[in-house]
Parts: sequence; C-alpha cells; structure tokens
Amino acid sequence: MKKIFAMLLACMLVFSLVACGGNDAPAGDQAADTTEITLWTYPVGKFGDEATVKGFIEKFNAVHPEITVKVEYLDYTNGDNQVTAALEAGTAPDIILEGPERLVSNWGRKGKMVDISDLWADTKADIEAQSPAVVAACQENGVFYEYPFCMTTHCMAINYEVFEQAGALQYLDLETRTWTTENFKKALEAVAGSGLVQETGVVYCGGQGGDQGTRALVNNLYSGKFTNEDYTLYTADSAENVKALTELKAYTDAGILSYDAGIVAADELQLFANGTIGMSFCWNAANEANYASQVQFTPYAMAFPSDDGTPELCGGIWGFGIFNNEDDAKIAAAKTFIKFICDDETQGKESVKATGFFPVKASYGNVYAGTEDEARMGNYTSMMPYLGAYYNVAPNWAEQRTAWWGMLQEVFAGTAVEQAVATYTGAVNK
Amino acid sequence: MSVALFCKLKEKGEVKVAKSTQPRSKVLARQETFTAYMFLIPSLFFFITFVIVPMVMCVFNSFFDYTSTSFNFIGFGNYVRMFQDEIFMRALKNTILIVVVSVPAVVIFSLWVASAIYKMSNFALSFYRCVFYLPVVTGSVAVTVVWKWMFNKYTGLFNYVLNSAGLIEENISWLGDERFAIWCIIIILFTTSIGQPIVLYVSALGNVDKTLVEAAQVDGATDLQTFWKIKWPSIMPTTLYVLVITTINSFQCFALIELLTSGGPNNSTQTIMYYIYYVVFKLDQFGYGNAMGVILAIIIALFSALQFKLGSEN
Repeated sequence: MKKIFAMLLACMLVFSLVACGGNDAPAGDQAADTTEITLWTYPVGKFGDEATVKGFIEKFNAVHPEITVKVEYLDYTNGDNQVTAALEAGTAPDIILEGPERLVSNWGRKGKMVDISDLWADTKADIEAQSPAVVAACQENGVFYEYPFCMTTHCMAINYEVFEQAGALQYLDLETRTWTTENFKKALEAVAGSGLVQETGVVYCGGQGGDQGTRALVNNLYSGKFTNEDYTLYTADSAENVKALTELKAYTDAGILSYDAGIVAADELQLFANGTIGMSFCWNAANEANYASQVQFTPYAMAFPSDDGTPELCGGIWGFGIFNNEDDAKIAAAKTFIKFICDDETQGKESVKATGFFPVKASYGNVYAGTEDEARMGNYTSMMPYLGAYYNVAPNWAEQRTAWWGMLQEVFAGTAVEQAVATYTGAVNK
Repeated sequence: MSVALFCKLKEKGEVKVAKSTQPRSKVLARQETFTAYMFLIPSLFFFITFVIVPMVMCVFNSFFDYTSTSFNFIGFGNYVRMFQDEIFMRALKNTILIVVVSVPAVVIFSLWVASAIYKMSNFALSFYRCVFYLPVVTGSVAVTVVWKWMFNKYTGLFNYVLNSAGLIEENISWLGDERFAIWCIIIILFTTSIGQPIVLYVSALGNVDKTLVEAAQVDGATDLQTFWKIKWPSIMPTTLYVLVITTINSFQCFALIELLTSGGPNNSTQTIMYYIYYVVFKLDQFGYGNAMGVILAIIIALFSALQFKLGSEN
C-alpha cells in the first residue's frame, strides 16, 4: 500500500514539473503553417472593447488566415505594470497599442522594441502632410518604434447652460473655442457668483490620471512651455509657469476655483457629468461620446485659456509598436497585422473611427463624413490647429508624471510655488 | 505501537527484542521517514520554487543597480541610498504609524466585541460574526469604492452629515488633505482587519476551561479578575497569532493606498509597500525596490520576534 502511495506521489511530482515546464516545440503541421502573435491593447476608444477588436481580427483573418492573433486587454491603471513584468519575465507580447510616451521614450529607448521604419516607407509623406509632429514623436534618432493611425487634441469643456445662465458666455469666443486668461478669471467669478454649481472647476491632483489637462491649464495661462525645445529638460520653473501656478493658487484662495488632492481625472469627469462642477479640464472627443448618456446639459468643448488667446493643446497619438522577441516570423506577421489595421483600404478608416479620434493620414480626410458622429467630431476638428508640441517623449517621463501631481499638491497645500517647482525640476531633470 | 514508543520501551528494558528483529525496526523507520519525505516533496517543491527562491533572488538583486537596461554590482549602494531617501523615510514613518495605531486598536476592539458576543445564542453569535466578517470577504476593491464615496469632498456621506450637523462650514477633502488622509486609511484598514480576530477570539473564549472560571468565581473573584487571571492567559496563543498576523498585514498595507491616494497628498500616505511598488513598476528600479523589500522583511521579522518573545514570557 505504501509503495502505491509513494508511486502516486512520485507521479504527482513528475506531473507538476511537466505542468510547470514550457513547450517550445512546434505542434505538428498546423504550427508550421500558421504564426501566432499576441496583441496587448490599452483601451484606446473601442480598442478596449472585445467585440470590436474580435471583429477586426476576423476581417484580418479573412485575408490572412495564416496568422492567428491573440489579444489581451490592458487598462491604464495596471497596464504598465503588466508590461514591465512581462518584459522582465521574457513574455512580452508581439504587438502593443499605445502612444509615443510608452512605445518610443520608454520601451523603445530601452531597446525593447523593433525598428519598424519599413512600415513608414509608403505612408510617411501622407502622415507628415497631416502633422509633422506625429512623425517626429514616433521616432528617436531616426529609428521608428511606433506606427500611428489616430490622433486627437485634449481640451477642456464647460457646462454651456450654466455659463449661459451665469452670464459668463460673453467671456468666451464660441466660434474659435478660445478665451483669454483675463476672461477665464471673469468667467470663473461669474459662475462662482451664480451659485449654479457646487464648484466652478476642480484642479485634480490625486494621481497621474488625466494629467495632460492640468499640464495644459498651467502652461497655457501665461504661454509657458512644459519642456525646452528639444524635449530634454522640464521647464516648470520658468517665469511663465510660476506665474500661472501662482495665479491658480490665488483663484483657489479666492474661492473661484477649487483643487482636490483626493481625486483624479476620472472623478473630475464624473463630477462634471453629474453637474456638480461647471467645467472639466480633461475633455476630448472620446470623453464626450463616453459621457453622452449621463450628461443633462450641453458639454461645450473649449481650448485652454491663454494670455494671448492662442492656445497650445496637448496631443494624443496612438499606434502600434512591436516588441523584439527575436522571432523573425512573428515580427513579420506583426507587421502584416499592423499594416492591415492601419492602412487597409476599408479597415484603416474603420480602425480610426473605432478610437473616436482623428486619422494621422491626410489622405483619409474626414472619416466621420456622413456618419451620426460628423457634427460632434466637427467641433473637435476645429481645435486641431491648436495642437502643440508633443513633449511626452522627454526623458524620465514616468517619474515626471508622478512628480507633477505631487508638485500641484504642494502648491495648493501652501508651499511656495518657487520651492515646489524647484523640487519638481530637481527630481525630473537628472 | 509506534516506532518511537517501541524504541523508548526498549531502552528502558521493558521490551525484550530478539537480535534478529533490530534491523527490521530500522528498515521500518527508514521506510516511514521516506514516505514522510515523499508526502512533503510536492509542497516543498512549490514552497522552494515560489517562496525561498524569490526571497534569495530578492536579497541577491538588492546588491545590484538592476533596471530594465542595467545590472551592475553596487554592494550596499541601494541600502545607503534608501536611508538618504526622504520619501522612503516618510514611508517608513507612515508605515510604523499605521502599525502602532492599528494593531493595538484591532486587538483591543476584537477582544471587546468577542467578549460581548461569545456567550450569546447561536443565532445572535452567527449574526455578529457575519457582520464583522463581511468586510473581510467582500474584497478590498469593493470596500474601497464605498469608502471612497463616503470620503468624497463633494458628494460624500461624511461631509453631508457633518455639514447637516453644523460641525463644518466647508466640505473637507478627506483623502486629499494631509491632516486626515492617513487616518482615513487607518480607519478603513481597521474595519477590514477586525473580522478574523473577532472570529478567533470568540472561538478561543468559548474554549476556556469552564471549571477554572467557576472555581475562580466560587473563590470570590470579580469578573475583571476572572478575565485577567483565567481567560486572558488561556487565550494568549490566540492573541499572539492575532498580533503577528495584524502586524504583518499592517506593514504590508498596499491596496488601500493604491486605490485611494497613490501615496498622496505630499506623500502623507506613502507606505513602504506602496513605495516599493512605485519604484519597481513605475521607475523600473528593481534593485532598489528589492533592497527596500529586504529591509521591510527584516523590520517585520523583528516586530514578530518581539511579539513572540513577549507572548511566550506571558
């Protein structure tokens, strides 16, 4: 009996070892005929929706049955952690969908990505015609790590009805969707005085989510820059930025604007959608679609206020990169998949529409023409000329993001602005 | 007759054994030992692979400048850096504050609740056990979402109640204010930590020898004297277990910080566990994170050893 037990235990051990072991051997003829690649996608519009992505893969497989695509859906809270863990474990996906701040300045700079310059050969001129900034953002030292397909500008939004009733619309240029810093302050005073909302707006700084909004708010108020021209140094300590932060602190002290170190952009958006606050600093075309069913008012997209009335908006560029898993067959299959999703005659435009943003290729024109989204997207098209420098490729980007909201917390908690920005630049300009 | 008992009796001369049977007993002992090891091997395999090996790797990596792109030996460089790192020192201070406040609070409250309910009817006892155990089984994410709403500056329950009672004039950002954020974390940690100790104490108090209690009462001991002289020593092993487990859980407080404050405002809720996560997963500084992990493990071991020492003395 004991021998049988011992034998069973030995078998269990062997099975557990076998179960833990990998199997790199091809599984017969099928493995030889097909190439399996993995795609990890951040929730860029409907690229976070399984049904949508599955539909795209089915269309791809109709043309390329020899390539199998497995998908994993990431979120912005844990996605980076999953990728970091996978890179260290040697289990990184073949393709990843995100923007240059991750694909180029993080993983690309660390040598984890494949040079995909060959994908750009036929389309570089087309993309450059739409925005030279996109071409610049997707490469480093001439090596392309991202193949983009959509872009947008991040803006802010106001509760139109509240502004109207508070008599604050007079301070906005509704046609160009711009306003000056001086008029912004007057509008805040008018809305705060009306008592129509609990708070006019909230400078959220509880985490890094949606930090492009607070960066744009600070930089635009007095035409400050977030980095120097070659994106090598962060310039939060410039006179313009210090003046802007001091001004925002004065607004909060005066009670015409609020700040909250306990919320992030998602919370602020919900407060805006509920009608609790009168404006959101984290708006774009996709957010308007996402909150359409919740809002009981007209969210009116606006550029950030600036002293000269000419705003510079933060941009978002999304596309694909390929991790270097040292498997030429998989790299080739990944490139085939990316080309199909981005450049196929019909799929290319469908992919852009699924994101809710705009194409990076000039030849695509207005992909929303004739659709129910045409009018809504037209509002945001008018702000595309305000697209500013894509500084997200600056070094220490991940550290900068944490330091930024930490700095805002310090400023609004009462630390001298000069001291807070000095701490910030000291931490990130290494 | 077990092998051990057999050997003991044999030594005393109470069992006479023919010389020819001695090798057989050794064979039997060897077979039983072998079987025991065979039973152990599967769990030992997983324990070594997933606990011991990572621990050794953690200590090893802590001596390296280990990032996504480099792996250079720097000796105690990470440890020196750690104690010059203001954020780490802040995190250490916050972590110790959480432990020092929450551990005694959890033990005292759990013991109090258990003392009050353990004599109740089965129905009432089960009801209270469910009530206090609910936050434990609900899951930290779900619990945190509810607390986050209650602490919300604009629509939260606490501000509504305090405003209605006229106790505050302006809404408070509970999680966004340095004065309150760490205490909010401690309160949530407290509510999610008391469930298991209460269940354990109810069981331990129910198992206290009734004859000792009755004898003390016959001798004229008051309720307080009965508790301190009879019940408290009887439940000391449970108290020791609760102390150690609660201490370890408090030192490893992470999910609440990640979900509610991300260590802010101004690092006022930064804990060592969260800082390790930030350094490793956001900054890719694996060696530095490992060094902090080693120090955290040493601190937890010291606290636990101290508790075991005090517990065994009592």
